[in-house]
Amino acid sequence: MSFIPGIPVPIGGIEKELGKLWEESGDTKTRASLINLAIYNEKPGSLERNTEIIRGIAGEHAMRAILVQADPKAEGSSADAWITMHCYLRGSKGGSVCSEQISFELAGMAARSLQSVVFSHLDSDLPLCLWWQADFRPPIDGKLWRWVDRLLFDSRHWKNPKEQFDLIRQIAGLAEARTVLCDLNWARSLPVRQALAAIFDIPGTLAELQLLRTLELDYAHGSRTTALLLVGWLADRLGWSLSNPSTNPEFRDAQGNTIHVNLTEAEGASISRMRLASEKAEFHLLRESGSDLYVTTATGSEIATTSRMVRAPREETREILLAELSRGGRHPLYTKAVKAVEGLWT
Amino acid sequence: MPTPLVNPLREGIANRLSPEPCTLVIFGATGDLTHRKLIPALYNLAAEGALPPALTIIGFARREKTSEQFRKELEESTRKFSRTPLNEELWAQFASSIIYHQSPFDEAEGYTSLSKQMKEADIKSGTGGNRLYYLAVAPDQFPVILSHLRESGLSTATPGSWARVIVEKPFGKDLKSAQLLNTLVSEVFPECDTYRIDHYLGKETAQNIMVMRFANSIFESLWDSNHISHVQITAVEPLGVEGRAGYYDTSGAMRDMIQNHLLQLLTLTAMEPPTSLSADAIRDEKVKVLRSLRPLRGDDVFKHVVRAQYTAGLINGQPVPGYREAEGVPKDSTTETYVALQVNIDNWRWAGVPFFIRTAKRMPKGGTEIAITFKSVPRVLFNQTGEGLDENVLVIRIQPDEGVSLRMSAKMPGSSLRIEPVKMDFHYGTSFGKATPEAYERLLLDAMSGDATLFARRDEVEEAWAFVDGIEEAWKTRSDDLAFHTAGSWGPAEAADLAARHGVTWRRM
Repeated sequence: MSFIPGIPVPIGGIEKELGKLWEESGDTKTRASLINLAIYNEKPGSLERNTEIIRGIAGEHAMRAILVQADPKAEGSSADAWITMHCYLRGSKGGSVCSEQISFELAGMAARSLQSVVFSHLDSDLPLCLWWQADFRPPIDGKLWRWVDRLLFDSRHWKNPKEQFDLIRQIAGLAEARTVLCDLNWARSLPVRQALAAIFDIPGTLAELQLLRTLELDYAHGSRTTALLLVGWLADRLGWSLSNPSTNPEFRDAQGNTIHVNLTEAEGASISRMRLASEKAEFHLLRESGSDLYVTTATGSEIATTSRMVRAPREETREILLAELSRGGRHPLYTKAVKAVEGLWT
Repeated sequence: MPTPLVNPLREGIANRLSPEPCTLVIFGATGDLTHRKLIPALYNLAAEGALPPALTIIGFARREKTSEQFRKELEESTRKFSRTPLNEELWAQFASSIIYHQSPFDEAEGYTSLSKQMKEADIKSGTGGNRLYYLAVAPDQFPVILSHLRESGLSTATPGSWARVIVEKPFGKDLKSAQLLNTLVSEVFPECDTYRIDHYLGKETAQNIMVMRFANSIFESLWDSNHISHVQITAVEPLGVEGRAGYYDTSGAMRDMIQNHLLQLLTLTAMEPPTSLSADAIRDEKVKVLRSLRPLRGDDVFKHVVRAQYTAGLINGQPVPGYREAEGVPKDSTTETYVALQVNIDNWRWAGVPFFIRTAKRMPKGGTEIAITFKSVPRVLFNQTGEGLDENVLVIRIQPDEGVSLRMSAKMPGSSLRIEPVKMDFHYGTSFGKATPEAYERLLLDAMSGDATLFARRDEVEEAWAFVDGIEEAWKTRSDDLAFHTAGSWGPAEAADLAARHGVTWRRM
């Protein structure tokens, strides 16, 4: 491969080689670590892409990163490893703070026994966050998942969300409810959910939430699952049940009223526009193409027209990952949102 | 269909109370605090979408200017002092909620027109009759502002809304004036609507003291007189009075730092676990610590407290004048710029543990920290090494370089048994690289949300004054105890003697 993710080291001597690396780096470097972040990917070139991501976040979230590029279908067995550090200057005395990175390229049998590779190189007592960048495949291996504190994945990239969500549920069940599920797609939708929730803090708007009849949502190419998670979140929060699972589905509220949902693919941010309407009021959320702001508006016959702007984060994987790692905690509403639109996953 | 009482979309979005729509009136809107802290903090909250959906900010001040001029000035200062870059669009949106209200503080008409403006804002912005008054003025202006707020009816909330007041320190200059001030405030606003800001409590590390103590079993189980030898709380700075001579010379280090910031840190360090994380449960425990402080009065003051003034010296290699040579300071001033005191907390947990508190200007470097020194282990096992073992010291650094470190003993590699101290260090900035919000952001949001946990309660303030008054009274009887130290040194010899009487040396920071 053309990209070399650090200094090549024998797999059996990784800790020793890391120790040497620290000794050689002198007194100005400090090792820091809040978590073990293991990233699993099966695509060629992933070590380079993931090294770039780690470099981008290590300055704000110190960690031991363990990157794995695996080819489990290959014959035989091979394993190569590299080590490196990502250092950032801190303070005025010229010292720097460093995160360690261990990279593996595994093929065949070595790739199929992932836990022995990953678990033997964890920084002890720190939580393990495993970012699974491949499709989940049955059967679910309980030995691997039981030790994972946070399982990160991105449902936006799934070609078969229905099957994948089923497998995710199995993992969550397997791991004695210890593993926290962290869908980066859910994290991606957080700023939209925050901005939308803030609209209904405006006096007089809360009652309209129960009277919504229309939901329009524009999403970018490839972001339909993001859009569906948002619809699921609203459905769960507002007590809607899916009555007509179609491309533009319909829901029923607790009183039996129909809510029409219109999902449209459009240029721009992953979620660029939302419109929620009742008979008397309309609520908009808009992110113009290229803008780093959300503009929300509430209008209606019985509410004062209110417009608001808030900073919209960049939709880069690095930013979303960092936000998710910094936020921590469980995501109880996520599984509810997935369930609320279960009939729409294909 | 009944309207839900809470916004169902809020669940899971943030684990804090939501700020409520309101009109924020800043008295002293043209002052430094508004420009440097308050408006930049509000702008950052707006940019993050953390402000309530409806907020009108009214700047109340005496100087003639239009709202447009006021906004322009605020834009310039926010550009300079905001922790995040100014976004033009966001600023424009945020600034549209700012109004300037010109009036002397002592004219009833000014409050009548303020009332009108706020009612208009309620209709236009949906602020719902909620009022938050911020007294960013000198304490001598409090009475006139408060009485006008009461007389104009502005301090009384309409049904279903609230009216709160934020009071900046100093909360009085002694117990009597604090009581007067508190009584004055309480005649206008009930205690539950009074928010006394001590910005130290808004700092992340100060908030972390409770988490560190009560979320880690290894610390709390050792947090008592059985295991702790003594505690040192220090807040020092290399700066002088820097243009604040007028205020500082009438206040001094005791009133400026000890009465509020350092006694607050003491209470967080020494308090019992609260029954819950509610504002009053925490403040109940803090006030118990203040009530347990052994009073210092009369001759005891001169045994337990050292006051000093800096004389000309060098800071970072640069000559600096002495305190009495600073502009605005009387040549015979006896105001203390250095205070070191040893206090005792007479309760079950802390009986026999001396607490040392120190604050000073013109020190070689600045910093605020709490150092907990644990008792030494018996020397039986290692007495052949010929040297005493260093005690374990847990240091909580409040600023700068927030973090926690633990000093412990370790064997030096080699064939002989040589034991040396080593330090385990946790730096916030190292592990959590992201910028933390300014204390004022947190505190303003808390006041809008009705969360008073990080604000000082009346009894806390008064208990702290009662303790400090005993010292101030004794100081009034004589001044020959005033010591002097060179600027850029670590304080007078008298302070070293004070610590030495307990077998302690002051920490070199």
